[in-house]
Amino acid sequence: MQKRTYVLLSLAFLLVFSAVGAVLHMGGHQAMAKEKHKKTLVMGTSADYAPYEYIDTTKGNKIIGFDVDVAKHIADKLGYNLVIKDMDFNGLVPALDSKRVDFVMAGMTPNAERKKKVDFSSTYYQAKQLVVTDDPKIKTIEDLKGKTIGVQLGSIQEKEAKKIADKVDKVHIEKRNKVPDLVQEIMSKRFDGAVIEDGVAIEYLNKNSDLRAFEIPDSATAGSAVALQKGSGLTADFNQQIAMMKKNGELDKIADKWFEPKSKKKAEKKSIVDFSTIMPSVPYILKGILTTLKFVVVSILLGFVLGTVLSLFKISKVRVLRWGADAYTSIFRGTPLILQLLIIYNATPQLTGYKIEPFLAGVLTFGLNSAAYVSEIIRAGINGVDKGQREASMALGVSYGSMMRQIILPQALKNILPALMNEFITLTKESAIIAVIGTTDIMRRAQIVGADTYRYFEPLITAGIIYYVMVMALTVLGRMLERRMSRGD
Amino acid sequence: MIKIENLHKTFGKNEVLKGISTQIGQGEVVAIIGPSGSGKSTFLRCINMLEEPTDGKILFKDQEVTAQASKIQQVRKKIGMVFQHFHLFPHMTVMDNLTYAPVTVNKVSKREAEAGARELLKRVGLADKEAEYPGRLSGGQKQRVAIARALAMSPEVMLFDEPTSALDPEMVKEVLDVMKSLAQSGMTMAIVTHEMGFAKEVADRVLFLDDGVLVEDAVPAEFFAQPKTERAKSFLEKVL
Repeated sequence: MQKRTYVLLSLAFLLVFSAVGAVLHMGGHQAMAKEKHKKTLVMGTSADYAPYEYIDTTKGNKIIGFDVDVAKHIADKLGYNLVIKDMDFNGLVPALDSKRVDFVMAGMTPNAERKKKVDFSSTYYQAKQLVVTDDPKIKTIEDLKGKTIGVQLGSIQEKEAKKIADKVDKVHIEKRNKVPDLVQEIMSKRFDGAVIEDGVAIEYLNKNSDLRAFEIPDSATAGSAVALQKGSGLTADFNQQIAMMKKNGELDKIADKWFEPKSKKKAEKKSIVDFSTIMPSVPYILKGILTTLKFVVVSILLGFVLGTVLSLFKISKVRVLRWGADAYTSIFRGTPLILQLLIIYNATPQLTGYKIEPFLAGVLTFGLNSAAYVSEIIRAGINGVDKGQREASMALGVSYGSMMRQIILPQALKNILPALMNEFITLTKESAIIAVIGTTDIMRRAQIVGADTYRYFEPLITAGIIYYVMVMALTVLGRMLERRMSRGD
Repeated sequence: MIKIENLHKTFGKNEVLKGISTQIGQGEVVAIIGPSGSGKSTFLRCINMLEEPTDGKILFKDQEVTAQASKIQQVRKKIGMVFQHFHLFPHMTVMDNLTYAPVTVNKVSKREAEAGARELLKRVGLADKEAEYPGRLSGGQKQRVAIARALAMSPEVMLFDEPTSALDPEMVKEVLDVMKSLAQSGMTMAIVTHEMGFAKEVADRVLFLDDGVLVEDAVPAEFFAQPKTERAKSFLEKVL
């Protein structure tokens, strides 16, 4: 390869990295507009739980919701500015524990396990459990006889649904990972109804006039409370403010704003495909490009470096290295990528106690997985280089390392460039899988917008177009590289 | 300069060299001839350990090459080699082909290496090709570059493994001319070849190999005029 090609490549990487870096600085936390007070309180939350806290995708990255309004009110009364840090729900308690945030409001229910690590205020909101359905004939739980209802896997609602099934005959319970999935299944007529908490259900009821809901009698109520650092002096202040807000009606006022059904626009005919409804959310999806790009670039680099090392192991004379590299490849090619991802993301904390970040888990999985494929490609490429090249190098007294780096690999690389590009393209597309562990890449953002607007076709098509354009860009880049490298043929 | 004692080489069950002993003196030009499959290429490739001998000794300037596999790089850089199929580095220009080993192995400065390379290119008549890639050269030009590449390491011995066998007939002469002038400059050379005319004219000695055995070792005039063995006689009848 020529020096200029190297320079071009490194320039391209630099460009991507600096763009990514700039965006990283933008994300993270968000300060409230006015610096009214001298002191600041940092609130931790997980902004994926409308209407408690969520990102309004039509207006950029701002976190809004019931909890946010309550928090603002309390902070203001106590004389603090409020800063909100968004993180994974599972990371909230550890963040309090390590004093990275002052308090947490995330629709969090006090339970014995959490109480060991943090203190809780008095509850500021009691949720009720609703049956949401699009069937006007279902008005009580008895009407659910012979019907299918959905619940979120591992939720309080799951227990509530089981109680219904005990009382009513032939109720079939289906589980899904996310609440939006439940609603989508109802809309697709696969479910007759779903058990959803009132605060969450209200969003769907507001936006969809076909849906109705009724309260499950004697349902277990889950109260939300503010979590604070163990022994925090703020707990008393928060309790005092919550009591005050309950008394003066401020809490009800905020609850009304977020939880009351709004008057439905009746008989509004929706066209089957309407991009105008998601237009305001398109910039939100576009921001996922940088997450995806950063993810793909780091994964490719990791996979390429590791793959090269593995390929050298595979052609090595040392049997242990050959055997190890072959076993590695066989394992990573022989199991599903999503399984590898979930093992690394979920099992790492279990085995080591280290709470691995979604991005790191994703990059590790994709890098390790890609290395298996890349090592095979490079091995084939090295074997494809004329044996005479090796002999000529040896006859000149060139060392093994120099020979590999400067004679064999550059020629192998040229031959395998199309296959490598193919692998990189696959990785780019497959990166959409990281959405399952909550990384806000293009795919995840499209899903969030879908859940937000109850339109699935438009955001998914938008994401599809973005992926297609990225893959085309990679293809063109590959052709340019190929042309550069074939100089001298 | 090179001493070979009882050299054996086996590939699997096939014994290609069956105990060859000879030596090559300083400044001597030795032509190695014989029918195909006689083991002449293997013999040559054993000298710089591209093939590892199964048994026997090879000494280069009284150092035993076969005993110290780890120091083989030190020996190889003093033994230039030219292959039948050139094996130029296709991703490098002619200039880079010539300077690569001196810079990487001998740690010569780039500038010095380039000056030396230009000198050599002039010597093989390719001064105008330094910026070309090997893919753009004819077979004869490629082989002359390959010779220059080997010479760039300032070797004390040059090994040629059928240097003209892959060339179109009209290009053979330009390569042989370069080799001839190299021989006249006093370079020690071992040449596996089918060019009997060249062997007759340029070589100081002819080694005739057949079936892994050194059958005759003679000066060319004697060998070509009156071969001592039946095997050499019948071989010469076929090729001349």
